[in-house]
Amino acid sequence: MISISDIVKSYGNFGNKNQVLKGISLQIADGDFVVILGASGSGKSTFLNVISGLERPDSGSVVYGTSDITKLTDEKLTKFRKDNIGFIFQQYYLLPNMTVEKNVRMGADLTGNREFKEMITAVGLEDKTGKYPSELSGGEQQRVSVARALAKKPKVLFLDEPTGALDEQTGRQVLDYICRLHKEYGFTIVMVTHNQNIAEMANTVVKMNSGKIAAVYANEKQKTAYEIGW
Amino acid sequence: MIVGMKDTVKLVGISVIAGCAVFVCTLFLHYNMDLATMKGEITTRAGMAMYQAQVSTGKVTASVSGGCLAATSVVMLLFYVKNYIDSHGRELGILKALGYSGLKIARHFWVFGLSVFVGCALGYGAAFFYLPSFYELQNAGHLFPEIKVRFHPLLAFFLVGVPAVSFSALAVAYACLRLRCPVLGLLKEKHEYKAKIRRRETKDKPFLEDLAESTVRERKTLVFFVTFSAFCFSAMVQMSMSMKDLSSKTMAVMMMAIGLILAFITLFLSLSSVVKGNTKTIAMMRVFGYSYSDCGKAVLGGYRPFAYIGFVIGTVYQYALLKIAVGILFADVDNMPEYGFDFKICAVTFVLFILAYEVVMCGYSQRIKRLPLKSVMME
Repeated sequence: MISISDIVKSYGNFGNKNQVLKGISLQIADGDFVVILGASGSGKSTFLNVISGLERPDSGSVVYGTSDITKLTDEKLTKFRKDNIGFIFQQYYLLPNMTVEKNVRMGADLTGNREFKEMITAVGLEDKTGKYPSELSGGEQQRVSVARALAKKPKVLFLDEPTGALDEQTGRQVLDYICRLHKEYGFTIVMVTHNQNIAEMANTVVKMNSGKIAAVYANEKQKTAYEIGW
Repeated sequence: MIVGMKDTVKLVGISVIAGCAVFVCTLFLHYNMDLATMKGEITTRAGMAMYQAQVSTGKVTASVSGGCLAATSVVMLLFYVKNYIDSHGRELGILKALGYSGLKIARHFWVFGLSVFVGCALGYGAAFFYLPSFYELQNAGHLFPEIKVRFHPLLAFFLVGVPAVSFSALAVAYACLRLRCPVLGLLKEKHEYKAKIRRRETKDKPFLEDLAESTVRERKTLVFFVTFSAFCFSAMVQMSMSMKDLSSKTMAVMMMAIGLILAFITLFLSLSSVVKGNTKTIAMMRVFGYSYSDCGKAVLGGYRPFAYIGFVIGTVYQYALLKIAVGILFADVDNMPEYGFDFKICAVTFVLFILAYEVVMCGYSQRIKRLPLKSVMME
């Protein structure tokens, strides 16, 4: 369970302060698939960064089980991310001078996962293990980043607009891989997107507007990546 | 403007090096020229011997210091131009895609020569004001009649105008050469473009080991720059310390100060490039949960052996250069001490080098620690 209480986050200095998150509270159950939906500038990416431990809030708490990550030192926060968190970004952020296999191994070595090649197979890239990121399409690069994130066996997977740079077909394919792996491994997913259709795949949808939660609702029936509109 | 004036501000290292080079060369060449005008007035045997010794010392100092520093400036300028093109590849690629020729874009790189002009002008100016004191120092034994400081416009032109124009031309020519690559090569980031060719046997190595190897393998320019800066550090510091046997005490102190400043600047600039060039990789590793020490060992540690190699080459180089220079230029001068390798200076320089290297690396690691992960990845 992730308990988020009264998160406030601002950018800028004294005279020009911009409050991006205005006292957000939320509960995320283990194994849940949460989509954070909102227009550009609504604060959804900042919210994701704060609850994943990439950024510290000005005030409020983010408690995983019994551990409040806003109180952890930088070193402990790094260890926390190592043990618990996986990330997938819109821009992939693969290491350009490393092959697919080595990029995935970056995640796997953190937790001593020797079976990381299974993850490459799971995202359908078993014949591209020796390729470099520049030799792959955008969809393939995003699948590498999915494999990399999951190779460390995270308890929570954070995704920031994972299909934002992909075309419809590739986007559906990537989402399908993520959903299938979610069902198989049972980790928690927190995904940020501006695409309303993707929200239909989630258990829980959190709508954000101007740094606040505008609505939280559960989907009665979750759709697959190939059932949603685009 | 593609390359703005503010981009030249980052080349302050080149200005300092050029300034030091011109400062030293101006002092000695000016002195030699003014001294030569009164050669006929030197009547004593001791005066003539001193004249020959000072002219030779001036030649050695000006050529060794000026030559080394000019070479350093050239390497640094080329590195900056390459770095600028690599980091602004997308903007330059768009311009090329729009139809601007490589030469048309490269022409804007002339401003990089301004840093040399500023350095040379300041170096020349500083030396010119110091000349009266320098002349007194050189003629402390009053073996020559009073030497007057004269202005030599040709010398000023060769020490300020020519380097500035040459470096501007060099920056344009090198930029033109680098911009000859296809538009896609610029639009895609350099490393992305290059990586696709390499096909190596990938052994089952742990990620961190593999990263350390590939970081060094794929960033050869940075490896070269680190090796070169260690080379400069080693050569400049040892050479300036060795000068105490070949010139007056004041001159030795001045040379040592210049040598140390330049050596530290080169090392500082190269290490800052190393850290900057690897910031994104470190940030990504941190996001995934790798500790700072893991990141440091894998990403920054790979350059250390090359720094030591550079130090060794610099040691050999400075010894050989001084041995040859002293042998040739002081061959006719009586009572010149034989130049031999000084292990004590070498050891002191090595300790200084390790300290400087580790302090700069540590400083930059601290700076990386303070950078928010998000901002690093958004760059």
